[in-house]
Amino acid sequence: MSLPCGTRDYTYDTDMAILRTKTQWGLFIGLLVFLFTLPLYLGNYWLGVANLIGITLIAATGLNILTGYCGQLSIGHAGFIAVGAYTSAILTNRLGLPFLAGLVCAGLTAGVIGLIFGIPSVRVKGFYLAITTIAAQFIIIWVINHWSALTGGFVGIKVPYASIGGFAFISEGSQFYLIMTITVLCTLLAKNLARTRVGRAFIAIRDNDLAAEVMGISLFYYKLLAFFIGCFLAGIAGSLLAHWVGFMNAEHFRLTESILYVGMIIIGGLGTTLGPILGVIFIRLLQQILTVQVGPFLESTFTALPSGFATGIAPMLFGLVIVLFLIFEPRGFAHRWTLFKAAYRLWPFSY
Amino acid sequence: MKNKRFLIVVTVICLVLIVTALPFASACTPKAKPGQELKVGMMTPSTGPAAEKGAPGGHGVIDAMEYINKELGGAGGYPIKLLWRDSGYDAAKVATIVKNFMAEGCLMFTTHASAEMTAGMEIANRAEFPGMATYTSAVIYRPPQHIYGQMPDYGDDWAFFATYYMKNIWKGSGKPKMALHLLNNSTGYGARDGARALADKLGIELIWPPEEHTTTTISEMESLTRIKTKNPDVLFISSTPAPTAVILKNARDLGIYPGITIGCAHASFTKALIDLAGANVAEGVYGVFPTVSWDDNVPGIAKAAEYCKKNNPKDYGNMDYLSTWSTSLIVAEILKLAVKNAGYDVLAKGNVESWRAIETQAIQKLKDFDVGGLHGPVSYTPGDNRLDKYLRLYKISGGKINLLVDWTEAPLIKYEEFPWFGK
Repeated sequence: MSLPCGTRDYTYDTDMAILRTKTQWGLFIGLLVFLFTLPLYLGNYWLGVANLIGITLIAATGLNILTGYCGQLSIGHAGFIAVGAYTSAILTNRLGLPFLAGLVCAGLTAGVIGLIFGIPSVRVKGFYLAITTIAAQFIIIWVINHWSALTGGFVGIKVPYASIGGFAFISEGSQFYLIMTITVLCTLLAKNLARTRVGRAFIAIRDNDLAAEVMGISLFYYKLLAFFIGCFLAGIAGSLLAHWVGFMNAEHFRLTESILYVGMIIIGGLGTTLGPILGVIFIRLLQQILTVQVGPFLESTFTALPSGFATGIAPMLFGLVIVLFLIFEPRGFAHRWTLFKAAYRLWPFSY
Repeated sequence: MKNKRFLIVVTVICLVLIVTALPFASACTPKAKPGQELKVGMMTPSTGPAAEKGAPGGHGVIDAMEYINKELGGAGGYPIKLLWRDSGYDAAKVATIVKNFMAEGCLMFTTHASAEMTAGMEIANRAEFPGMATYTSAVIYRPPQHIYGQMPDYGDDWAFFATYYMKNIWKGSGKPKMALHLLNNSTGYGARDGARALADKLGIELIWPPEEHTTTTISEMESLTRIKTKNPDVLFISSTPAPTAVILKNARDLGIYPGITIGCAHASFTKALIDLAGANVAEGVYGVFPTVSWDDNVPGIAKAAEYCKKNNPKDYGNMDYLSTWSTSLIVAEILKLAVKNAGYDVLAKGNVESWRAIETQAIQKLKDFDVGGLHGPVSYTPGDNRLDKYLRLYKISGGKINLLVDWTEAPLIKYEEFPWFGK
């Protein structure tokens, strides 16, 4: 297999291409074929898990653009997902609009809300910005819970099946195709964004916002743009979540979810396209394994332990895995994958 | 170079083998085989913010299933295979757990907390997968679909308490003023909806809007101060034990209580409330509950007590344990009816055909099933997905929960007829 090392590019476009060799194209097409044939192999439960992973990945990609590329820490991402979810739910349930209209409006609404809560980012950063975004989380959820005429309040709101042109995505398999198509498009969007002027501006702001400003990058414009794009993707994810679950209430969007999203992109690798993919898959699969396998096994096996002890081991293991990961690989799975690729190319030489 | 090529070849072969084997792997998932077992999925929030209810609830489910399989021979002669999951009170987890139950061939599923069922009910309703909520609220089963409530909902709690209050406690003239302090989920807002539906009819003036709190609240001084300024005659709390304990303590600190009457919905009115608040603080508080207390001499208490003391002695006296023990007995009866009316072959499929059989041939055939006296008789009434409609009124006295009013049927409220009811 011929790898980028040793290839010759004669134009800027070929040099900047994401897929530069036939091998890479082959692998990419193979991955897409494998991904979109999963409904042939997986049962409804694992398709459901895959759908949840796809939805989470869209939101995590948005957060990665905001936090990983632009360096704006946000611990209110679940709130922006909620905005998208409820926007889509209200437009499709109450107003009878088509799903696609709900999807786009969900993204735009969440993006605009993100813009509003992103304004403080021009003045504050780091920990103080994190507090601002936590406030966003609480404010959004409070509005959802109290604007009961529109949102159903604490009780919630029913959401119809997603449908396009009369075709309703009812089965888990059809929902998988819908969610994965949008996930792939959003991932490609994020990958391409990083290669553009906008992406380079985000990275410059992340690395040294003062130097970026001195170079002529408008902090106000690019920081708000990062919030808009990040929250737009969160809104898209929220819309898909609403139509997948079928019933929305604010319980789906707790602060712990926001923190989990930050954990996902850290474990996966901040500032990379592959990072959110690996982080989301790892966290969601870990949750499923602990809930479906480990928890019941511990509860039924260790009956001699004090009441509740065995049940508590599963969430403890979850936290322990994350802590160990952050200790031994703080740059995430993506960095480990980069090291593996480098070692593979150079093997048996270590330099 | 040669080694690299060898590695590539090995990797490709492995990938091909994995892809080829995937269909067989997914087909190997076992489902109920003829003559073997009946699968049922049950989830409780054994960790997370509702763990003080969910943990004993989980133990009750597991112990009751052990009793049913060991001493009652299962359901209709078939052992019941329990798939228990800890939802952690996490809505995203609930969605995948319900799908897991369906994929594993479970015939029905149950939830403990109403918030769990709220998160998973639409997935179940869409698939016609029958479910039963131990603790429920109106939005879960109005209008009636495939989800059933084991016990009266929080709106029924309010209606029952308010009726008793008007008949036996309120001695003043005109309308008493009632304040509501509600948990910010279906637990609290079920009571709100019941109050909105019936307050006028009962002659009660509601202090509006109701106050609300979270499961993790540590102080409600501010909200209770607002309530105090409105001079209520009665306060109704619909919440879980921890926040209710906080409210009771703060009410005493502010001098609101004693002075007014306080009533609690069943989600908080358990031994855990007395443990958390303290016997002095909880003294004189009224509460409704849909099951008997541990001190009652009913036939079903003996076995529950025996298994509780053997497996989970710390849960002795806990009402959540008793509630989910009853849940398991009802599930066993449903499965028994299903085996008798539909036949095991239908149930063994573990698919939508089995689920329809469970509903039409079992759940909807329930008639006056006695859960060993642990709560009211369980019957299905067409158009009403509450299986048990009876409540008792209790009062805390001397650190114990004492019975005041025996089983009384809670009226059916057709919430969907009110324009404000969430759709």
